[in-house]
Amino acid sequence: MKEFVANHKLFSLYTMFVLSVIFVALAAPWLAPMDPYAGDMRNVFLPPSSEHWLGTDKLGRDMFSRLIYGTSTSLFMTICLVFLTAGLGAAVGIASGYFGGRVEMVLMRFADMMLSFPGVVLAIAIAGIMGGSIINTILALVAVSWAKYARLVRSLVIKLRSNDFIVAARVNGTKTFTILWRHIMPNVLPMVVITGAMDIGTMMMEIAGLSFLGFGAQPPTPEWGLMLNEGRQYIQTAPLMMVYPGVAIFIVVSIFNLWGDALRDVLDPRQT
Amino acid sequence: MRFFRVKKLFKAMAVGVCGILAAGIIAGCGSDSSSEGVNNGVLKVGVTNFADTLEPTQNFFGWVVMRYGLGECLTKFDAKMNIQPWLAESWSISDDHLTWTFKIREGVKFSNGNPLTAEGVKASIERAFAKNNRAATFFEYESITAEGQNLIIRTKKPLPNMPGYLADPLFIIVDTKAEAEGRDFSKEGPICTGPYMVKSFVKEKSVMERNPNYWDGEVPFETVEIPSIDDPNTRAMSLQSGEVDVAVNIAAGDIDLFKNNDRFDLDEISSLRVVVARINQKGLLGDAKVRAAFIQGCDRETYNNVLLKGTFLPGSAPIPPSLDYGFDQLKDPNSYNPDNAKKLLDEAGWKDTDGDGIRDKDGRPLRVEFIVYNGRAELPLYAEAVQADMKKIGIDVVIKNVDYNLLDQIGIKGEYDLLISNITTANTGDPEIFLNWYWRTNVNGDNPQNGSGYSNPELDAVFARLATEFDKEQRRQLIIQAQQIIMNDGAALFLGYPVTNIISSKALKGVHMFPSDYYWITHEIAPAK
Repeated sequence: MKEFVANHKLFSLYTMFVLSVIFVALAAPWLAPMDPYAGDMRNVFLPPSSEHWLGTDKLGRDMFSRLIYGTSTSLFMTICLVFLTAGLGAAVGIASGYFGGRVEMVLMRFADMMLSFPGVVLAIAIAGIMGGSIINTILALVAVSWAKYARLVRSLVIKLRSNDFIVAARVNGTKTFTILWRHIMPNVLPMVVITGAMDIGTMMMEIAGLSFLGFGAQPPTPEWGLMLNEGRQYIQTAPLMMVYPGVAIFIVVSIFNLWGDALRDVLDPRQT
Repeated sequence: MRFFRVKKLFKAMAVGVCGILAAGIIAGCGSDSSSEGVNNGVLKVGVTNFADTLEPTQNFFGWVVMRYGLGECLTKFDAKMNIQPWLAESWSISDDHLTWTFKIREGVKFSNGNPLTAEGVKASIERAFAKNNRAATFFEYESITAEGQNLIIRTKKPLPNMPGYLADPLFIIVDTKAEAEGRDFSKEGPICTGPYMVKSFVKEKSVMERNPNYWDGEVPFETVEIPSIDDPNTRAMSLQSGEVDVAVNIAAGDIDLFKNNDRFDLDEISSLRVVVARINQKGLLGDAKVRAAFIQGCDRETYNNVLLKGTFLPGSAPIPPSLDYGFDQLKDPNSYNPDNAKKLLDEAGWKDTDGDGIRDKDGRPLRVEFIVYNGRAELPLYAEAVQADMKKIGIDVVIKNVDYNLLDQIGIKGEYDLLISNITTANTGDPEIFLNWYWRTNVNGDNPQNGSGYSNPELDAVFARLATEFDKEQRRQLIIQAQQIIMNDGAALFLGYPVTNIISSKALKGVHMFPSDYYWITHEIAPAK
């Protein structure tokens, strides 16, 4: 452990940051000084004070508490999204890469179709049709981002499937599912994990973007994109309302991007 | 390698700093004003436009035709909602209360030079009836005839408010001859009598030019550019940056920027509008106690005075205090009282048995759907404030955002628990139609706007009397009575009354907001110097 930390100082540092973000998200109910939904409407747009550390928003809700709770909303959504996207993409990629032929044709043409659309625009369309909600946003973004993973995994699997150990397993009469699960899966996983980790920041931005446009989280959910949009109406009279969620997004996205980069450096065999 | 990563961190920081600088530059843009355009015969007005065409009989598009200084009616409303002559010089009613005679003003010309005749007015009004069935909800006529410059309208029933009806933008006088000669009003814009005429029109931006044949004095501007800036913040910023010289309806968040400012004039007036949440009686809110609790739980004083910074007046009655229909003498049985609201909900059998903060009964949570649209900045804010207040008394309000174009149908079909709208209460100078539309019993769709299922025979009786009452004071009393019944029944949640505003650069004079909200661009708007 000590040796690992010494060898990967930056990665360890970023991991610390990531863990602290996760800690804030999980411990939100204990960290937040107030209920993020309850506000005193007679005290709106209060400046920062010892009672309200970052002041209050347009309905008199404590801004700091909302930011803290926003961490868990954003993180929860992003993690769901990354897992679903990577899972679906990997499954499709493994299937089309391993079986080839018609399966590959159909699945990959479908993936091409999804890739040919500008992602966020398509996500807006899907979320718009299904109606704004957290779940619909996640589904919409999964629908537009799985194709990238499918392609990546497929190319890896094509390379793997003619390897001797796979052929050997097949000759031994191993069940197809077992081959996929025991032999293929572990070999593509690192690549999927790296891509997924690097995507966390982007996904978080996309979720916040959709919420900002009104397709994602709905009021009164404390979600950064939504808070940004709420603050927009007061950009000239209470600019801090936009600054806080903006800074929160900036910090957390930066942390995850740096962490993703560092993780790649650690896991990527070419660099060791 | 490590060095490289540190560099990357610097790069990220640099990007961040650049972003902050860019934001600063954008914010800093709003400092120089230009009144050059105004003095060179170009007026720029930032508005919100909902019209797809300028055909005055389509939908409510006539409003836009009138607001843009294109169209005029026989009559108009002044700042106190009194009816004044416009294209009609004077009018009178026969002793049997069935025949109205309007004397059409002499010497008025359409923008194409054709003279305005009683015959032409007749054709224009008949056209409105033929093209939009809203016309018949104002009045039904037996005959319209033209005798010289006199227009004679005979009605089947006595209609006390005829001059008020004819002030509605639906009855903008257009040149039907021009249409007969092949002009397509919906594509090229109508031919009317206003100070300006259409040069080009798309929904996002209209350009008007001076009507050379205008009848009422000089038209000060050669060109009027009217961009539609739907976002209220953008509208405020356009005004600050001098991109537009006049802007309408600046929102609560920005109004302070223009108050007591040496570059801008603010004209605000309590409007005829009400922000109302219609309450559907076919759902959970059909229970009078739940409904009363809901209304009592809403702290409307705070919404309007604090959240909306006084750009709205607190609501309680259907008709705003700007109209003299007994606002102060009406008693609101459901004024803010959260403790009583909780008691009422307890009495109605709604209790929080599972401890999630939301009351329930027979395993069903007390959850209602609140339909909102974003077109007006205050509506989502009201909805969220109501949502927060309802949570305090144990009602779960789910806000559903819909497109404005769907709103009408949702209202008619009754697919809501609460449905917010910002409605004008007296677009004919008299609130009878407004009250009638939303609260008279809807028998098999004969009153389609009342999709809420609300019905009270007592109120219907008041409406029946109102329909034929000519005496002004009697009408007033009946309307007060009707309002009190609606309030006692908790038939709707009256959230507030907007104070509308129009803000103009000091380089201009004559910019006024009227309570009726029909007259934005007039020939009185002129350079100050």
